[in-house]
Amino acid sequence: MNNYEFHWNVVFDAFPQLLSGAFTTVHVSVLSMLVGIVIAVLLALGKLSNNKVFYHFANIWIEIARNTPALFLIYMAYFGLGAYGIHLSPYLAVFSALVFINAGYLAETFRGGFQSIPTTQYSAAKSLGMNNIKVYRYVILPQMFRRIYHPMTNQFVWSILMSSLGILVGMNELSGETQRLQSTSFRTLEFFMVAAAMYFVITKLVLFTSSLIAKKVFKGELS
Amino acid sequence: MKLIKKISLVVASIAAIGAFSNASADKLDDVIKRGTLNCGVVLDFPPMGYTDKDNKPAGFDVDYCNDLAAVLGVKSEVINLTWGDRIPSLISAKTDVVVGSTSDTLARAKSVGFTYPYFVFKFQVLSKKGVRMASFDDLKDVKVGAALGTTYETEYFKYADSKGWGRDNYTSFKSENDAFLGLYQGKIDALISTNTNIATKLTSGQFDGFVAGPYVPNYDDVVGLIAKRDELAWIKYLNLFLVHQIRDGRLNELHMKHFGTAVSPDMVQSLRDNK
Repeated sequence: MNNYEFHWNVVFDAFPQLLSGAFTTVHVSVLSMLVGIVIAVLLALGKLSNNKVFYHFANIWIEIARNTPALFLIYMAYFGLGAYGIHLSPYLAVFSALVFINAGYLAETFRGGFQSIPTTQYSAAKSLGMNNIKVYRYVILPQMFRRIYHPMTNQFVWSILMSSLGILVGMNELSGETQRLQSTSFRTLEFFMVAAAMYFVITKLVLFTSSLIAKKVFKGELS
Repeated sequence: MKLIKKISLVVASIAAIGAFSNASADKLDDVIKRGTLNCGVVLDFPPMGYTDKDNKPAGFDVDYCNDLAAVLGVKSEVINLTWGDRIPSLISAKTDVVVGSTSDTLARAKSVGFTYPYFVFKFQVLSKKGVRMASFDDLKDVKVGAALGTTYETEYFKYADSKGWGRDNYTSFKSENDAFLGLYQGKIDALISTNTNIATKLTSGQFDGFVAGPYVPNYDDVVGLIAKRDELAWIKYLNLFLVHQIRDGRLNELHMKHFGTAVSPDMVQSLRDNK
């Protein structure tokens, strides 16, 4: 280590491939986050519901997602389903595993958000003649999303970083590309350091963009 | 004043001795002093490296590690690596040498020190029975895969790019075992690996529905041991060790043991010519 010479030009030449890997990373993590949010709202409502079927379904989903390693879920989505003749592409395997995990984790965050809103607001909205969907659309959800915005961004960061496990199933995201490039050149340290820096930048950019969107949607009011 | 001069002279000479002895101790001395050889092997690449039924490291590469440790008069410590771990393990000094079927490309030789070649592989296609695979060009129309970052992956890309096939049909796998699992499950119709690995998998009986097909055209995979690039004396020693493995008949013995046949005269000639 003491006399290791860094050859940065190798990394520079391979930059287009790293960028295309980074694009896949952003793609899969943002998309899995968006789908995850929608499912998480339903799961959180299921956990608060009196309907036994709905409750248990949500509960099992959340428990599995929160208590098993992402690595295992991705591997199962790819090779586990493969054993039964269901062949997801590497992208789809990573995407569905991330959606599953994001939804499970976010559901618990959302449940806390829902419970923090006084039930009197629900009754008040009802008394104004709103139906259930309108109550959630105009009264509950806007407040809930404001309150859980910051915990939600934590999951977003995790989603980006977890997508690096895509390398397990041969997905050509940033880690997979890095691995391939370092194995042909053997400039391992250089490629891994640049990849780490790129993850940092991606995470910061995604958080910055989502805060811009949040400010617009929540009209600057974040609690 | 005299006293200060004397003291500083003593300090300077101690420092000089320290610096000198540091500079002269190289990897070869380190290994002998330590009494163990940390030898990296990829253990999911039978019959070069694998774990036997008692979960112990075994294979051609493991035997080479043990032979090397024996001539050095030290204990052999086999360290299990993936393809991707080979270089980091050397740089972080977790291994002294990697006996890991490393293809000696000139790009890699800028980063790591190669010995003389110690083995020559062919890259071959293994495909499902019934998939037309008369020549390497038949890969164009099927789903094909290989282990990520291997030389056969690179060679396949080169060939595919030269023919303008694109990469939509290609899937890479994290490890050699995952590639075979993918083929077995039907994720891909054909994979590329070394002739030795394919032959071992076929004799295992687990791949009865599959056939070994064409070789990657015009390509011999010549592999060497690797060590840190600046450990010249160590690499020289390793070179001599490899020469002795051929000269003393040990290469042939181990080839018989792991492949069931005598080593081919072509391969011996290639190794003797260092090409």
